[in-house]
Amino acid sequence: MPPIIEVKHLTKEYSLGTLTSAKDTLRHTLAKLRGKNTWHRENFKALDDINFSVEKGEVIGIIGHNGAGKSTLLKHLANITKPTSGEVIVRGSVAPLIEVGAGINPELTGRENIFLNGAILGIPKKTIHEKVDDIIEFSELEKFIDTPVKRYSSGMQVKLGFAIATSMDAEILIIDEVLAVGDLAFQRKCFNRMEELIHQQGRTVLLVSHNIRQVERMCSRVILLNQGKIIRDGDSHSTCDHFYQLNNKTISDQQQNNATARITSSGEVNIEQVDILDENNQPTESITEGSTLKIRIRFTSEKALIKPEFHVGTHTTDFIYLTGESTALLQEDFEFPAGSHEIEQHIENYPLVPGSYGIRAAVIDQQGCVLFHGESLKFFNIIAKTDDAPLQDELRLVATNVSWKGLTP
Amino acid sequence: MTSVVHNLINYRELIAALAKKNIVVRYKQAYLGLLWAVIKPVMLMLIFTLVKSFVGIETGDIPYPILTFAALMPWIFFQESAAEGVNSITSNTALIKKIYFPREVFPLTAMVTKLVELAIGFLILAALMIYYQMLPTLQALWVPLIIFYTMLVALTISLFGSALNVYYRDVAQALPVLLSLAMYASPVIYPLSLVKTKLIDEQAAGEWSNILYTIYNINPLAGIIDSFQKCLLQGLAPDFGSLLPGFIATIVLLPLSYLYFKKAENWFADII
Repeated sequence: MPPIIEVKHLTKEYSLGTLTSAKDTLRHTLAKLRGKNTWHRENFKALDDINFSVEKGEVIGIIGHNGAGKSTLLKHLANITKPTSGEVIVRGSVAPLIEVGAGINPELTGRENIFLNGAILGIPKKTIHEKVDDIIEFSELEKFIDTPVKRYSSGMQVKLGFAIATSMDAEILIIDEVLAVGDLAFQRKCFNRMEELIHQQGRTVLLVSHNIRQVERMCSRVILLNQGKIIRDGDSHSTCDHFYQLNNKTISDQQQNNATARITSSGEVNIEQVDILDENNQPTESITEGSTLKIRIRFTSEKALIKPEFHVGTHTTDFIYLTGESTALLQEDFEFPAGSHEIEQHIENYPLVPGSYGIRAAVIDQQGCVLFHGESLKFFNIIAKTDDAPLQDELRLVATNVSWKGLTP
Repeated sequence: MTSVVHNLINYRELIAALAKKNIVVRYKQAYLGLLWAVIKPVMLMLIFTLVKSFVGIETGDIPYPILTFAALMPWIFFQESAAEGVNSITSNTALIKKIYFPREVFPLTAMVTKLVELAIGFLILAALMIYYQMLPTLQALWVPLIIFYTMLVALTISLFGSALNVYYRDVAQALPVLLSLAMYASPVIYPLSLVKTKLIDEQAAGEWSNILYTIYNINPLAGIIDSFQKCLLQGLAPDFGSLLPGFIATIVLLPLSYLYFKKAENWFADII
């Protein structure tokens, strides 16, 4: 049996800028007739030579940064737009849940909208009649179903949209970011409905989401898009993990480019350089999860520092202070003459989960005067130990060693 | 062209649902509801009747108000189907960008919506006929065919116009102006018989008269309005001589208009 979806060398270009006025069009056309081309519209490749095929019954996630081409790809699969070059073959009926509530009309009542949207999604009237009670029940809007939708709250509208959209039967389901709707309880319900839909009757599903955890859980295969190209197409676990690493790298690149260090300084002490060191004490950008974090700080001092206090710590990219240890707790007394010096802080088994983190540092003199304080002095990445490691999620920050016990009282 | 018919059948539920939505949305919060649909032809009929009492238009033995109302019905149906049809793609941006179904559903829906309003016009016409004590004859059976032909003419304009309007919104601005001019080039205020008498019988434009009359009839609405009046009010068969030039024009232009629409359709979601 041939694959249910085949995408061959799919390329989609958009012209940048705006459609020109009739005057310009005329001018360009006249120029073209004289053999000169004055048409200078830059093209943007939203999709660049995409190739993949999907077998019947596969559940595929499509992930990538904003603007990577995910939605454009889905639009081609749903036949909403046509490729600039290449081919998209879809062998089956497609149900595009591209945005919940695209066809909802505010003037109509909830019930009227169910029938209208059913028709828009190609559900036969008979089927809607059979399903209308289910839809109303699922949307939890029994009381309001005969009220015009314009009087609904936005959450109620979304619930209605989702309830309608998921009631359709098609061989291929295309879902774009629809799961994050409503309050938590309703999201849970949506999620269950989606899983039910996906696992029913071996349907083929394409799911686009920024919720990578969800994609990893629901899909058997994930395609990672970046700047209109497929950069990875494989089992969901390794692809999602790859995406995380890419994501962290992007964040740390951005941070480094932006040079967003926040520094307040008395001018007497200046931090020149902050390095993260690997096992061989060579500067590095990233360390492996659970290994020793070595921070080396080179600073210059205008005057001799007697019994200064160094405070060095780490923070997340959104400035949540994670660690922060001070030399004040040490019995040792440091003394530095004027000039350039280095100190190192080592944190064994740095416990944070893969991600991008920043370094902050402060220097305080004997009298308790802050000579230097800086955040985001340096960014570094924690990378997952192996591709097979359990995927880091947004729900934890710290990795701990745990042991489990099962008991039956 | 067969695929239009095919789509019409396949997507009839969708067209019906969208047309119902259009009507419900338009009249939902209006106290007079659907009556608004006939206010326009009735008002125009009254104004034309008033004007006619000053200038004097020869209408034969048919009372002028009912004659002009019978002209306004197909005219307004055509005019509004075309105008709404041309706007139908750009006013459904949200759907076009999210869901695929054949895009000709939109112009078709605009027309079906107007068909409902036309049906209400028939109630007014029936009332007028009772008032003037006129009875329809068997020739009235031509009317559905005439309306179907009017739909083809309206589609010719709305398919091409709605596709072009996606690229150049000038179209939707220009069309109402052109259509209101076209009303004077159609036998709405005056009957076609007047034109025929002047050009064919009196040869008012000399040797050009016959050609001018044919040119006048290239406007399909000339034949449509005349036949509509003939079949319903006079109990006569349609005047195929006046229908023919417009029919040929429609048969040639409709496939071209449809082809352009189908070609442009591929880029609607990108350009709109």
